Amino acid sequence: MTRTLRNALLGAAFGLALAAGPAGAATIKVGVVAPFSGPFGVVGKSFKEAIELYQAEHGKTVGNDTVEFVYKDLDQANPAQSKALSQELIVKERVSVLAGYFFTPDALAVAPLIDEANIPCVIFNAATSAITEKSPRYVRTSFTLWQNTVPLAEYMAKQGIKKAISAVSDYGPGIDGEAAFKATFEKHGGTVVDTIRMPLKSADFAPFMQRIKDSGAEAVYAFLPAGPATLAFAKAFNDTGLRAAGIKFFGPGDLTQEPDLPALGDAALGITTTFNYSRAHDSAMNKAFVAKHKEMFGSYDTVTFTSVGAYDGTHVIYQMIKNAGGRIDGAKAVESVKGMSWESPRGPLTIDPDSRHVTQTIYLRTVEKVDGKLENVEKEAFPKQPDYGYKLAK
Amino acid sequence: MTSVAARDGKAGQMTRPAPLGRRRDLGWIGIPLVAVAGLAAYWLLPDDLALLTRIAASALFVLSLDLVLGYGGIATLGQAAMFGTGAYAAGIVAVNWNSDPFVMLAAGGLAGGLIALVTGALILHARGLTLLMLTIAVGQIVQEVANKARDWTGGSDGLSGIDPAPVLGLFRFDMFGRTSYLFALAVLVVGLVVARRIVRSPFGLACRGVKEDPLRISAIGGSPKSYLVALYGVAGVFAGVAGALTAVTSGIVGLDSAGFPWSAEALVMLVLGGTGRLYGAVIGTAAFMGIHHVLAASDPFHWMGFIGLFLIGIVLFLPGGIASGLERLGGLFRGKEDRA
Amino acid sequence: METMFGIAVDGVAYGMILFIISVGLSVTLGLMRVVNLAHGAFAMVGGYVASYAAQSAGLPYAAALVAAVALTVLATLPLERLLYRRIYGSANELAQVLLTIGLTFVIVAGINYLFGPTLKRIPLPDLLTGTVALGPKAIPTHRAFVIGAGAATLLGLWWLLERTDFGIRLRAAVDDPAMAAALGIRTERLYLATFALGTGLAALGGVLGAELLPLEPYYAIRYIVLFLAVVAVGGAGSIFGSAAAALALGIIDTAGKYLIPNFGEFFFYAALILILFRWPHGFFKGRTA
Repeated sequence: MTRTLRNALLGAAFGLALAAGPAGAATIKVGVVAPFSGPFGVVGKSFKEAIELYQAEHGKTVGNDTVEFVYKDLDQANPAQSKALSQELIVKERVSVLAGYFFTPDALAVAPLIDEANIPCVIFNAATSAITEKSPRYVRTSFTLWQNTVPLAEYMAKQGIKKAISAVSDYGPGIDGEAAFKATFEKHGGTVVDTIRMPLKSADFAPFMQRIKDSGAEAVYAFLPAGPATLAFAKAFNDTGLRAAGIKFFGPGDLTQEPDLPALGDAALGITTTFNYSRAHDSAMNKAFVAKHKEMFGSYDTVTFTSVGAYDGTHVIYQMIKNAGGRIDGAKAVESVKGMSWESPRGPLTIDPDSRHVTQTIYLRTVEKVDGKLENVEKEAFPKQPDYGYKLAK
Repeated sequence: MTSVAARDGKAGQMTRPAPLGRRRDLGWIGIPLVAVAGLAAYWLLPDDLALLTRIAASALFVLSLDLVLGYGGIATLGQAAMFGTGAYAAGIVAVNWNSDPFVMLAAGGLAGGLIALVTGALILHARGLTLLMLTIAVGQIVQEVANKARDWTGGSDGLSGIDPAPVLGLFRFDMFGRTSYLFALAVLVVGLVVARRIVRSPFGLACRGVKEDPLRISAIGGSPKSYLVALYGVAGVFAGVAGALTAVTSGIVGLDSAGFPWSAEALVMLVLGGTGRLYGAVIGTAAFMGIHHVLAASDPFHWMGFIGLFLIGIVLFLPGGIASGLERLGGLFRGKEDRA
Repeated sequence: METMFGIAVDGVAYGMILFIISVGLSVTLGLMRVVNLAHGAFAMVGGYVASYAAQSAGLPYAAALVAAVALTVLATLPLERLLYRRIYGSANELAQVLLTIGLTFVIVAGINYLFGPTLKRIPLPDLLTGTVALGPKAIPTHRAFVIGAGAATLLGLWWLLERTDFGIRLRAAVDDPAMAAALGIRTERLYLATFALGTGLAALGGVLGAELLPLEPYYAIRYIVLFLAVVAVGGAGSIFGSAAAALALGIIDTAGKYLIPNFGEFFFYAALILILFRWPHGFFKGRTA
């Protein structure tokens, strides 16, 4: 039997299996793969809260169909496990849409699956540019390192900074950020005096600080995964006197994500970042979003970029279901949301038809105290920023 | 009859002193049992094949750990170095040259065995905590090399795009996972058979001798270290094949496959099942991953607490692992028969 | 030259933090022959207690530190009677590993449940913030304080184990428990006291090291390899060995990260393998202090 014939037969069998299950008005299931336990458990929590919030606002039905979310816990970057869980969601739970995915390898792992099953996959976070190139059925509602870094590097050049240094964690997103920063900053006439890639498991950042100091750079561009590493890096920056020496600290907004701010404390004051969302974003829609979150879950401490990633992702999924009018066909569903624009708590969004990634406003923010609480206060906005990294990096 | 219970009754003794003398051997039953249980699971749980496939591939990895720990007494927290090397070797071969699943398994086994021989020769002179640290360090270095060689391994993004050819040109690896599972189960059963032959061979017995009394082995003219290095290499082949099997069935290899947590998890699964029995590895893996799956589905936030309590309970009340519990049950049963 | 000095100062500061946390592990491993993988969990518990005491109960830093050590010791003593007592002795290392991993999991889950997954901090008093100048090199005041505390811990432990009645009895019990018991030394009590010493040191390290190793529920698992490395290089049970190992590893790590940051991780573990190849039993094997 030739491979294509087998493929066609299997596809037909799967289609029949789906058709034999839910017919007409029924339940459409959405599978969400994210870390609900482990060091990144707070991410899964914020995804789930955002989805529940969206459903509380917009109802659990689209047309005649009820939308039901099924959650799978994937506590760390483990692509083999990600694929197994997604496979189970498709085969056992018969989900029509896959969603979630915090880490890049976990999102990449499902590319062959979603193509074979013809299912759309809405990525709520995983931020390496290359992901959406791997399958036409990916849509992403978060951000990429390129998207955040390009406006930041331009801003830094405009501030008159001539010599900068890049210090990133040595993994996919960090390397993306470094590439984006170097390309943009040098294009605008600046010099990147050194690029440091710091091991992910570093505990002590003092040696890197010494290197930054010795490089003679006026400013540092830093990217580390949110959590203990960021905290230690920001503390070391202050403690070793770099801040006192007048070196400016810039980075993508993961560095100062809202749940970490209380622990960062005053060490975070003055850090300038660019990002797609700040909890302190000044719009009626965001205020309502945060207030609703507090009303439903008792506090808004967990509201951060992953919340809006999931909230807007849920919006895209609802739209796909609405457009499909019942059963979802992966390729068509993705086609139907290309170019879609809407207003989100973070500002105006459009799904770029080419990269299937959201084009959005990127904000320049500085950490300040607002009513005794540290917040990312927006200073400038750069509207309509696309994913500059699409089909650029390998 | 009494020997089993008496031997394992020794409180707190987690590694089974392997019997050197002859006794009625019923150990062979374990392998057909695994095969039958595996096939039964295929019919009973057709929707859970993704999980079952992962259990089968992981069981082969834990089996490799049983070879070094249960039969050689080598305490290691770096077995994932061999697993990861095998998985990356298989993935790189598939992406660049040949994606036949058997070729991938061979590449994985070869790579795993090689790295085990080289590192084993370097570190196996040490014992105890020093050895533990050395194995951890080897694992970290393998992981760091994989992270740095982005062009070959994809770095932290993972090595994706592995698309194994159909088994024997007939059975495609599709998303329903039937081929994957049966393939993985077959490899596991073959692995168990081979492992059993190895541990019962003169070489296997010599390794047990090294574990029990290295001094006596050197007194009768053997070199304890060379036996251990050879055993480490053989186990490396098993771990490498297990890694390749994961690459075949999942189509992607991540940095986690060479990471410290994976080594530690394998140790936990092995001790849970019972060391020095081979099929204890299968039982431990199935129990640990099964429990994880059920608890993670019902309450992901607290599964760690449950598994922790479970581990403590095993140490306090069932020191030989689950397999020893089963053996004791079997012993009781046979005891009753004798009396009747 | 200035670079060398900078690396040395940063390395010593980092090494002292490693020393304070790891020496408790060395004590329990060397004197009681328990591979206590829950050591990191005890350090974390100490840190959380201090964080809670300082932030929610409003205690000053010093009081929070004392409370953390005292409460952690009190909370872990029942564990010694219920769990650890059953796994003493070098014969069942695997049982020790499994039991203490299980205990670590339970503690991680418990901390996650009680305090949530976000980072926690222990606010420093004004006295310990800012930097102090050491010649051309400025180091954080807090780190200078930790170096001092580390030196004090080192001397205190040496005195306790070598110069007191407790130390003599303990060493006797370690060398030959049966003989010691026959001579009227109450080994059970002695072990309980040593266990308390180990967890107390863990808690102390957890609090003092929190600026560098931030507190979050996975602290217990994240850093345990680092602590084990110090003990392995130093030689289990050796106080001076632990100090030498911690300083050596701290300086190696700092130098590697400064000179070749892109291969920092690689450098550290390669050095670890070389050291353990040369000194398979650690720097100071077979010496109590």
